[in-house]
Amino acid sequence: MREITFREAIVEALDIALGRDPRVFLLGEDIGYYGGLFQATQGLLQKYGEDRVMDSPISESAIIGAGIGSAIVGMRPVVEIMNIDFMPVCMDQLVNQAAKMRYMFGGKMKIPMVIRCTCGAGRGAAAHHSQAIHAVFMHFPGLKIAIPATPHDVKGLLLTAIEDDNPVLFVEDKMMYNMKGDVPEGYYTVPFGQGVICHDGEDLTIVATLRMVHKALTVAKEMEEKGIGIEVVDPRTLCPLDKETIINSFKKTGKLIIVDEGNRIGNFGSEVASIIAEEAVEYIQAPIIKVTAPHIPVPYSPVLEKYYIPDEDRIREAVHKVLEYA
Amino acid sequence: MPVEVVLPALGLTVEKGIIIKWLKKEGEKVNKGESLYEVETDKVTTEVESPASGILRKILVPEGVEVPILTVVAVITDGKEELPEKYRPMVVEKSEKKVEAEIPIGQESSVFMTSGSTKIKVLPAARRLAKEKGVDLKVIRGSGPGGSILLKDVESYLAKGIQSGPKILTTPTARKLAEREGISLSSIKGTGISGRVMKADVMEAMSPPKAAGLKMKPFETKVSPVSKYRLGQIIPMNSIRKVIAKRMAQSKYTAPHIYFFNDVDMEKLLALREEFLTEVDQNHGIRISMNDFFIKATALTLLEYPLLNSKVSGDEIHIFPEIHIGLAVAMEDGLIVPAIPKADQLGLTEIALHRADLVERARQAKLTIEEMGRGTFTISSLAQFDITFFTAILNPPQSGILTLGKVELKPVVKSGQVVVRRIMRQGLSVDHRIIDGTVAAAFLQSLKKKLENPFTTFFKL
Repeated sequence: MREITFREAIVEALDIALGRDPRVFLLGEDIGYYGGLFQATQGLLQKYGEDRVMDSPISESAIIGAGIGSAIVGMRPVVEIMNIDFMPVCMDQLVNQAAKMRYMFGGKMKIPMVIRCTCGAGRGAAAHHSQAIHAVFMHFPGLKIAIPATPHDVKGLLLTAIEDDNPVLFVEDKMMYNMKGDVPEGYYTVPFGQGVICHDGEDLTIVATLRMVHKALTVAKEMEEKGIGIEVVDPRTLCPLDKETIINSFKKTGKLIIVDEGNRIGNFGSEVASIIAEEAVEYIQAPIIKVTAPHIPVPYSPVLEKYYIPDEDRIREAVHKVLEYA
Repeated sequence: MPVEVVLPALGLTVEKGIIIKWLKKEGEKVNKGESLYEVETDKVTTEVESPASGILRKILVPEGVEVPILTVVAVITDGKEELPEKYRPMVVEKSEKKVEAEIPIGQESSVFMTSGSTKIKVLPAARRLAKEKGVDLKVIRGSGPGGSILLKDVESYLAKGIQSGPKILTTPTARKLAEREGISLSSIKGTGISGRVMKADVMEAMSPPKAAGLKMKPFETKVSPVSKYRLGQIIPMNSIRKVIAKRMAQSKYTAPHIYFFNDVDMEKLLALREEFLTEVDQNHGIRISMNDFFIKATALTLLEYPLLNSKVSGDEIHIFPEIHIGLAVAMEDGLIVPAIPKADQLGLTEIALHRADLVERARQAKLTIEEMGRGTFTISSLAQFDITFFTAILNPPQSGILTLGKVELKPVVKSGQVVVRRIMRQGLSVDHRIIDGTVAAAFLQSLKKKLENPFTTFFKL
């Protein structure tokens, strides 16, 4: 299969959606003439024109508000908030309006809106442009959250998101835009709520998100040579969450590590650990360990920032700790 | 009054333990039942609970020091009272990590066995499996951090259990025959080379037992035929022997014993056992032994004479609320008495399963303190020896112990005729402080009646 980058896969998905459905349009800062901060909308303005690919003023509230309004009247907006760090600026519109409207109006109104945003540290962009706060949004019923980890999944999930009748927060790890991978040509979708087992193993389960999937895979491949089987599960969407795949893998291994770049408290991993404690307690063979960023703002210093991001060493450390119980 | 905290006997063959961690500091308040310290032995790591509430006045044995069981490791007081001189903290050379400490004289506890229960760390998955398989977690040694019991510990325990049956040597013909006839090979004594079970052995097992060649299942004992001792040898008593010595002396010196004997005609009981031996074996995988009948009959008789199910406590007689029949099991080095709980309420098969399990684990030194200490009445049998009858010392604090001699063919007079019957002589020792001769005699007589009329005894309609 042909290999393209994560970024190119996004452009392809948007291109297909714009081509298939005249209700789809894009709105965001610098997504038009500039092609997006990460070039993830490159060439689309030229192809579809200013009516379908719109540069917006620097106002998150305006972007989300326009998205919600147009969705109410039947459009399918794909809006971009450049960094997930900015989401709190338009938090009320998202969590109190977009997420609740369909429910509060008795289903008479739908908000088929996709909010694309980037997350993650590693570019020296400091505490306002580096966070991985995707787990925050899990708390709000009415929102769906996609967290693609491969070029294949980002294209398929984005097309699913655009076709979904509910608001979807579509989180892109900004350190993955140049990652290459096999991507089928043309239209296909990846369903929400279906995790994927990226690496089989019998001894230990690692649930990882976004870029952390690849770090977990590196460790899993290393450990495989040592005869330790690590099963790596990528949930692909946080809401809905594929509990079944996680629980089934856990029932098999009895040991769990969750790797997620979010801050430690209220991390996605905390939710997974809680699910296991509630639904599979009798299978627990070892402490459940979260490998996360520490509970601090993302540091600006490159040295500290590197230390902040969970890495393979920290995963290895967790694996060794868990294997004390093997 | 200071309360001594001792290192409990954590298992049968455990003689020493290392205090890994004190969970309370000197001068700290402790409540009875609170975890006081962590101890590691070659078998388990576990937390020991405080025997009393008060102030942890003095820690005598520091962390990291190995001491024999029953050593006084700390003292708890209720206030500022003067501590007797004898409670001196152990002095340990710092350089060594594990130190075998000498116990200062006078610090050996007078407590035989603490009843302070211990907490076991178990991972949930291990707990689930143990529950599913009915495994007592107390007998499993945890290999995880802090001695926690892991899933694999339970798994390996179970695997061992399956393989633990001794490998039976047999000829192919014998095996086939035994399989066809539904006879358990383990029940057959092999006469071939190295005890190999031969076809003839299986055939003999198939034929109904002859009156004379009576093979009673003895109390399971393991006595090495050749003495390992030599003349002139001086043998230091191990901790188990010391406990036995103390208990026996204490019992004999404090409880005035009286003894009673009568003869039991075993014909009906032996016939009854033969009758459903195979069926129970096939359905439950257990061979009911004569002991199981004795346990049940004794428990039923105790229901009639609860005074024999009691202990002396100061100026009071405490009748135990439940009937747990202890079974004397001979070990290579000593004797222990695991007890079958609530034997009066259990069926024969249940008793047999309990008995087999306890005896097996006694051999593996895997009994719990609870199992060894809960007995309220004891049965001791030497039926497999050529012993007509014997007396036994009470197992303190119990007040009664039943002894069983061998079953032998004897001429007896029945309806004016001399006939040959299989007779067993049973004996009873009781504590005369609280049990008089007439009560003991009535008890023994009632038990005899039960054994001689097994149908009415064991089949309640």
